[in-house]
Amino acid sequence: MASILLKNVVKSFGSFVGVQDMNLDVVDEEFLVLLGPSGCGKTTTMRMIAGLEHPTEGEIRIGDALMNDIDARDRDVAMVFQGYALYPNMSIYENIRFPLRMRQVPKAKHDDLIRRAAEMVELGPFLDRKPGALSGGQRQRAALARAIVRQPQVFLMDEPLSNLDAKLRASMRVQIKHMQRELKVTTVYVTHDQIEAMTLADRIVIMNKGVIQQIGTPDDIYSNPANTFVAGFIGSPPMNLIAGTAQNGTFSSAGIRVPCPANLSGNITLGIRPEDCQIGGDNLQGQVYGVEPTGDITYLTVRTANKNIEIKAGREFRAPIDSAIAVGFDTSRLYFFGEDGYRVGVN
Amino acid sequence: MAHSTHTLEKGAAKAAPAAAVYSIRRPRSATAKKMFPYLLVGPAVLYLLAITLYPGLFAMYQSLFVVKFVNWSWAGLGNYTRIIQDREFWAALANTAIIGGLSLSLQTIIAMTVAFYCYRDPFVRGWRIVFLMPMLFMPSAVAFIWKLAFNDGRVISDLLMSVGLVSNNVDWLSSVWLARLTLIVADVWQWTPFLFIIFVGALQGQDEEIEEAARLDGASWGSIFWNISLPMMRPIIVVAVTLRGIDITTMFTNVYIMTQGTPGGATETMSYFIYRQGFRMFNFGYASAASVLMLLITIVIAQTIVKRAFKSGKS
Repeated sequence: MASILLKNVVKSFGSFVGVQDMNLDVVDEEFLVLLGPSGCGKTTTMRMIAGLEHPTEGEIRIGDALMNDIDARDRDVAMVFQGYALYPNMSIYENIRFPLRMRQVPKAKHDDLIRRAAEMVELGPFLDRKPGALSGGQRQRAALARAIVRQPQVFLMDEPLSNLDAKLRASMRVQIKHMQRELKVTTVYVTHDQIEAMTLADRIVIMNKGVIQQIGTPDDIYSNPANTFVAGFIGSPPMNLIAGTAQNGTFSSAGIRVPCPANLSGNITLGIRPEDCQIGGDNLQGQVYGVEPTGDITYLTVRTANKNIEIKAGREFRAPIDSAIAVGFDTSRLYFFGEDGYRVGVN
Repeated sequence: MAHSTHTLEKGAAKAAPAAAVYSIRRPRSATAKKMFPYLLVGPAVLYLLAITLYPGLFAMYQSLFVVKFVNWSWAGLGNYTRIIQDREFWAALANTAIIGGLSLSLQTIIAMTVAFYCYRDPFVRGWRIVFLMPMLFMPSAVAFIWKLAFNDGRVISDLLMSVGLVSNNVDWLSSVWLARLTLIVADVWQWTPFLFIIFVGALQGQDEEIEEAARLDGASWGSIFWNISLPMMRPIIVVAVTLRGIDITTMFTNVYIMTQGTPGGATETMSYFIYRQGFRMFNFGYASAASVLMLLITIVIAQTIVKRAFKSGKS
C-alpha cells in the first residue's frame, strides 16, 4: 500500500517528447485511470512507474522512496498487460506461483496464496491448464491472479480489457473494481476507453500529446471539462462543440443563438452535451440529418449550415429526414471555450 | 466479315479485342490439367531419386555381396555378421559418439550462452554477421586451416608457449585425446554459428511483454532465461541440435584432412571407417553394409530424440 508521486517527469525518445513535465500524485489506495488517445503518453507514464522505462528528467517516488534508479524487479509493483503476458510453458497454477518463487516467499505458503488468488478471480477449476487452453477472459483473470497473489504495493494495468469482447469487458470491469476495493491496493490503470475510465476511476487523468489536460473525479471531468479536448473526449456521443461569436451577452453561429455571459466577446466555442438538448425550443434551427433509435434512447443528428449537432431524444422520437426541426438547449448547462480551447465565462 | 485469327494485325487486334487473341489456344483437357503439377515437380523428384534413393538402394543391395570390383559373389548377411565382430567398427562408432557428443555439447552450450548475452543487444545484427562467417568457409579449407594451426604450422603450440602454458612443442597427433581435441575444436569453430543463429533468432522472437512481466514478478535475467525462454525454445533446440547431430555423425572432411584416423585409429569416425573400407581396401560390399548400419543407427537415434522431446513438450 503506497502513494505514487511523479515530479516534473519528462520522457523523450530522441527528439520526440513522449511525456512532458508531468506532475501527478496518486493517493494511497486510490484507483487512478490514465485516459487518452493512443500516443498520448499514458502507457509511457505507466511503464516509468513500473521501471520498464526510465524518465529522462524528474522524480518518481513510490511511498517515500525515490524509484529512479531502482530496478523494475525491486519496485514491488505488479502489472497486468494488454496481451496477458502469461508464461505459455507453465500451467496457470505455476504462472500464479512464479512471482512467489522469484520473491522467495516460503514454499509452505504458496498453495494457500495461489488458491486464494485464483478463487478471487473465479479461476479455481482451471489451475492445471496451460494458458493456451483458456479463453481470452480466463487468461486475463489468470494474469490478474498472478498480479494479486503477492500483494504488491502498486497495481499497474495497461489496457487489460481491450482484447476482450464487449460483454466480457463489462463483467471484468466490475470484477476489477470490486477486487481493488477489497485489496485496497493503489492502482494505476491505463485505457483509451472513456467508459472504463468513468466507471472504474476514483480520479481520471486525461492526457493528450504527452501533457495532462485535466485531473479530476469522473463527475468533475464530465460536468466541468477544462478544455475542448476533454469536452470532446468524454461522453458518448461527446459534447457538441460549435464555433461561433459572442457579442453583448449572446452567442451566435449558423442557426444557433444562445445567451452567454456578458463579458464574452469575439471567437468563442460553445459546448453542449447531447443530453442537454430537447426537441422544441428556439436555440437551434436546422434539418433532420439522421435518426438512430437504439431502444432506450434515440440519437438525432441535426444539420446546421456549419456543423452536425448530436442530440439524445426520447425513445419514441421519430422524424423524417430533411424535415425542419427546432431544438432548445438547457441554458444552465452551456460551456464556453476561448480561442486557446480553455474554458471561459465560468463564475 | 469472317474474322481470321491468322491475319491478326495491329489494327485488327484493336477492333476485335482480347477474346479473339486468346481463342488461338485450345482449351486444356482435364487430364492435362491434372498432370500439370506433377510435370512441374517431376524433374526435382527425378533428380532427388537419382542422387539419393538409387544410391541408397544400390548400397543396400551391394551390402549383400562380397565385391571385388567386377566380381560380385553372394554373401547374404555375411558382411553384417563380420562387421558386428569387427573391433574397428565398434571403435569407429565409439569415436564418433565421443567426438560428436563432446563437440555437439560444446557447440550447444557456447551458442546458447552467446545468444543469451546478445539477443537484446542493439548490435545483435552485427554480431550475427560476425558469428556467421566461419560457416561460410568451405569445410575443406577450414580443415586445412586447422591442420596448419595445430600440426604443420604449430601456431597453436607457439601461442600456448608464449603464454607459458606448455614448454615444448605439442605433438597433437601423439595422444588420443589431443588428436580428438583438434577435431572438436575445428568442428566447434565452424559450426557453433549455425546453432547461435537459430538460438538468437528464437530468443529475439520471444514476446518482450512476457520478459517484462517476469521482470516485474521479480525474476532476474538468468531466471527468466532458465524458467521461461529455455522451455519455450525447447522444440527449436531439439530440431537444431538433431540436425547438427546428424551432420556430426557423418563427420569426414576434418578427419580426412587433419588426422586420417591417427593415432592408432583414435580419431577414426564412422564415415572415415567406411571410406577406408571402400576406397582404400576396396571392400565395397563391406563398406556398403557399414553405411546401411550407420544409416539405421542415425535414424533410430534421431527419431527417438525428436519424438520424446516433442511428446513431453506437449503434455
